[in-house]
Amino acid sequence: MTAIQPPAPAAQERIERLDRIWAERPGFTGWLTTTDHKRIGLMYVAASLVFFALGGAEALIMRTQLAGPGRHVVGPSTYDQLLTMHGITMIFLFVIPLSIGGFGNYLVPLMIGSRDMAFPRMNALSFWLFLGSGILLYASLLLHEAPNAGWFNYVPLASRRFDPGPNIDFYTLALILNGVSSTAAAANFLVTIAKLRAPGMSLNRIPLFCFAILATSFSLVFALPALTADLVFLELDRKLGFHFFDAARGGDPLLWQDLFWIFGHPEVYIIVLPAFGIATSIIPTFTRRKMAAFPLVALAELLVAFIGFGVWVHHMFATGLPQTTLIFFAAASLIIVIPSGIQIFAWCMTLVDGTPEFKTPLLFIVGFIIFFVFGGLSGITLAAVPFDQQVTDTYYVVAHFHYVIWGAAVFPVLGGLYYWFPKVTGRMYHERLGQATFWLIFAGTNITFFPMHISGMLGMPRRVWTYPARMGWGPENLASTIGAFILASGLVLLAANLVVSRFRGAPASADPFGGGTLEWSTSSPPPAYNFAVIPVVTSAYPCWDADDRAADARRLAAGQLVLEHGHETTTTTPVDGHLDDVLAMPAESIWPVTLAAVCTVGLALVISSHYVTALVSVAVAAAVLAAWHAVEPRSAA
Amino acid sequence: MSILAGHRARPNGWYGMVVLIAAEGALFGTFIGTYVYLSFHAPAWPPDGIAAPSATAPLVLSLVLVASTVPMALAVRAGRRDGVAAAIGWVALAFVVQAVYLGFQIHLYVDDLARFKPQTDAYGSIYFALLGLHHVHVAAGLLLDLWLFLRLPRGFTPYRRTALSAIALYWYFVAVAGLAVTATILSATW
Amino acid sequence: MSLGRAGGRRWTRVAVLGLLLVASGCNSNQSVTNPATTPASDIATLWWAMFAGAMVIFALVLGLLVLAYVRRGRPGSGGDDRGPYRVILGGGLAAPIVVLSILFIFVIRVMPAVSAPPPGSTKLTVDVIGHQWFWEVRYPGTAAVTANEIHIPARTPVNLVARTADVIHSFWVPRLNRKIDMIPGRTNRIELDAPQTGVYPGQCSEFCGLEHADMGLEVVVQTPAAFRAWLADQARPARAPTTPQELQGRQVFLTASCADCHTIRGTPAVGRAGPDLTHVGSRQTIAALTLPNTPSSLFDWITNPQLYKPGARMPGFASLPASTRRALVAYLESLT
Repeated sequence: MTAIQPPAPAAQERIERLDRIWAERPGFTGWLTTTDHKRIGLMYVAASLVFFALGGAEALIMRTQLAGPGRHVVGPSTYDQLLTMHGITMIFLFVIPLSIGGFGNYLVPLMIGSRDMAFPRMNALSFWLFLGSGILLYASLLLHEAPNAGWFNYVPLASRRFDPGPNIDFYTLALILNGVSSTAAAANFLVTIAKLRAPGMSLNRIPLFCFAILATSFSLVFALPALTADLVFLELDRKLGFHFFDAARGGDPLLWQDLFWIFGHPEVYIIVLPAFGIATSIIPTFTRRKMAAFPLVALAELLVAFIGFGVWVHHMFATGLPQTTLIFFAAASLIIVIPSGIQIFAWCMTLVDGTPEFKTPLLFIVGFIIFFVFGGLSGITLAAVPFDQQVTDTYYVVAHFHYVIWGAAVFPVLGGLYYWFPKVTGRMYHERLGQATFWLIFAGTNITFFPMHISGMLGMPRRVWTYPARMGWGPENLASTIGAFILASGLVLLAANLVVSRFRGAPASADPFGGGTLEWSTSSPPPAYNFAVIPVVTSAYPCWDADDRAADARRLAAGQLVLEHGHETTTTTPVDGHLDDVLAMPAESIWPVTLAAVCTVGLALVISSHYVTALVSVAVAAAVLAAWHAVEPRSAA
Repeated sequence: MSILAGHRARPNGWYGMVVLIAAEGALFGTFIGTYVYLSFHAPAWPPDGIAAPSATAPLVLSLVLVASTVPMALAVRAGRRDGVAAAIGWVALAFVVQAVYLGFQIHLYVDDLARFKPQTDAYGSIYFALLGLHHVHVAAGLLLDLWLFLRLPRGFTPYRRTALSAIALYWYFVAVAGLAVTATILSATW
Repeated sequence: MSLGRAGGRRWTRVAVLGLLLVASGCNSNQSVTNPATTPASDIATLWWAMFAGAMVIFALVLGLLVLAYVRRGRPGSGGDDRGPYRVILGGGLAAPIVVLSILFIFVIRVMPAVSAPPPGSTKLTVDVIGHQWFWEVRYPGTAAVTANEIHIPARTPVNLVARTADVIHSFWVPRLNRKIDMIPGRTNRIELDAPQTGVYPGQCSEFCGLEHADMGLEVVVQTPAAFRAWLADQARPARAPTTPQELQGRQVFLTASCADCHTIRGTPAVGRAGPDLTHVGSRQTIAALTLPNTPSSLFDWITNPQLYKPGARMPGFASLPASTRRALVAYLESLT
């Protein structure tokens, strides 16, 4: 546990100058105009947790409806909107914004020793666009016109003929907006990690969490266009009578599925990769050991992202495609097991060979490993084509993906909320309560999702609003419902722990757990400029190099790499991390939130078929962009 | 505080444009892939009753757009030695060529719409969508050029120099994408 | 190539199946692990083999985690990666390559048994067309058209042709074979070859709208002789009414808008939106297995379909007097 040395008087004066230069507007307007990656990250966390609660409520209503056969808590029309919104919310409005927008934004600049992201205003734009997409979707639910064709929205069910209301238009346009938000975020991470690292941080010294974000960002850039194209084609079919998916006029419903899953499969790796990154951050800290086979783990993360583009047809094994196609994609789906297996054994061996301390964050990672292995194994069974052809579209698949998306992707996020809580708030959470929340959530997860393997194999299809008593699926469903409420109570307790600790927790030092990455070298919470002096690093765990950190303090006193005369950070060369330039950073701006509002309104106009006014909003958006780029970041002399 | 002497890496804005080009390139890729997919499934392509596109106008126009990247590159060169007037001049030349290009393309597009429609069948749908995607990108590029006309007369700053090189990169991409789109559209004649 | 019907160690399967049944309740008639044909049995065997392997692997990883817990007090190697590399490359690279290659070989061997039957290899073709939310069943070469209840002869390879009239549906009878999607513009096929007579339930397996949950079907496997008799009966036009009540019922059917949606061959009713009712009296269930086919259920259904299948396309006929509805029921039940 390294403590920060109190700064020498010369250093103190520099810090005060930095405080003044990096201060942002106070109050509500400050949040609207902020470009500080930490504040943007916190807004992402807050918004995504609100959507999480909404998605969770949707789940609990569905589980209540399915608790027994023949119930009528909600009817099919409401149920179909709930199931669709649950999927969309959890994927696009919760887990991805939280792990990439929340954790990614807050941590990446801190971990690489930078003062902000490469494009701070675009960072804010990403958040406001995401919020706009969530508002559009939930507006549809308020109107009882929410998307209702499932989160993967197959045609022709989602076509104008079978779903004539605005439900699906909300789906397509909100997700296009959401996709732009994510693409911008990905671009930001790619350039930030390439250019804004601390001097000395060559590629092989980048924290594994940042490698995970790197892999995630590459996937986002190349996967989202397939979804965008699909959504554009669907809107053209629905609004203007095109025939992309119309079998009667030369189109093909399978085109929708192919494009969707070319996006959809990389999407699930996009969901889980940041979780891998969080796991590889927490394990070294709590085992006091570097991650075993560090280069292999980094490579495995990139390989998972890459191979993930080659497996999508395994979502379509029952559609009647040629045998050769099925065989190829079965093989690819099995090959992707290997980089996942490498990581699992690396995590386990770090635990075995280190000295683990099973505090709350590490407990969640142990839970994550268990769920990832179990869900991965059920995934392997689904790569076995004939077996998949029996259980696809049943609750067996629902069980599989909840084990990997909930168990493997969200458990590290929950552990991460605890782990970085002291850094963000400056206070410690309650440890014993934290462990209790882990056990409650772990048990609830298993009780909810394990029985679904069984009901699926007993013949229960997905997306059914009810089921008859004669099928005998009652006991499993009741167990799942009970489990869901146990799970929910664990989450409520977790939220209570964090909220109460925020106000009453013991004060936390800069580095309560002895972490190795740079975020632990600055105060809790960090100042607006993150580091009073840009750190120089010589290893992958810079916070465990006491000599380097002492050298930082000396440079602070001497005024080297402090950059206290402007709103600035350093850039380095992409591969070797040699100091390259000093970059002026933009300050607060009203334009990102304005542009996001214009885009959201424009899409709402398209949904309601006001096309001319929507075109006007395009012109307004262009004007806003021009105004935005008329403000150039300047170094203050 | 100028550290230009230390530069070995390209500016962030340039890298950002590279990522945007990767994403938009992938988008063009999915549209082109869709064209190919739909053509495999069709008994006749173009379907009976729709004439295959003629090659001359699209090819000439695509080459014109490629040619317009030369003044853009020269503008970037001028920017490196702070030649404001020269840079604006080259961008203006490129802009005129690009605008005339777009005008001709819109004319051809409207002509095509008189012969067959996207609502006729899937061939029409992907034909007009793919071409439309490219024209929208050209229009966006024209707006980027306009921004340069607004800001460059005030002189070069590192920000504007980066913007100019990023916008030139954008136009190289749009020109190459135009060749790809033309090749795809004309593949119906093979 | 088939793996045989009784592959795998019987006692393990019985024990685990027993455990599952105890945990699950009794009805395994739509269960993937209760196969009634060779393809379904091959898949079930593949499953049990994967299940066993998965349990071993899971236990191994759990073992590592337990080891980490048990050894947590001891200092480690101090960051020496050589031992970990051996385990990581052994467990994460070498072992998966071996295990997954073996799995892949078995997968390829089972795939032909569950794929579309080669043309000419089957003795009977059944055409099933998915609708929102019922199954239209046709027997090419005959005039027989029915709904939701598919009869086939035992020990006969049947070519099941799967198409759709509207959105994507999926035909799934787990005890007989894997599922096959019904996609607009495509004709998919699987083989049904059941050795034992009996009733095999199934259900639509691709989300198809409001009443996807209530789109059940039954495959009734009969002896070849009984099947021939049934098919001949189904091919005949509808029975004429024999009682005054049935006559009144027929009259109601033809005038109260039923004929707009339903066909009764041999009458002027030729509607195609709903299921063919020519021999509805012979079926075990109505509304795609939602209700049993009894006079009182049929009466309730006609009165208010939305009560039993909310979202179904059929309007209710509560406005008709009860005696009228009873006549209608009597007529329909007479159509055996």
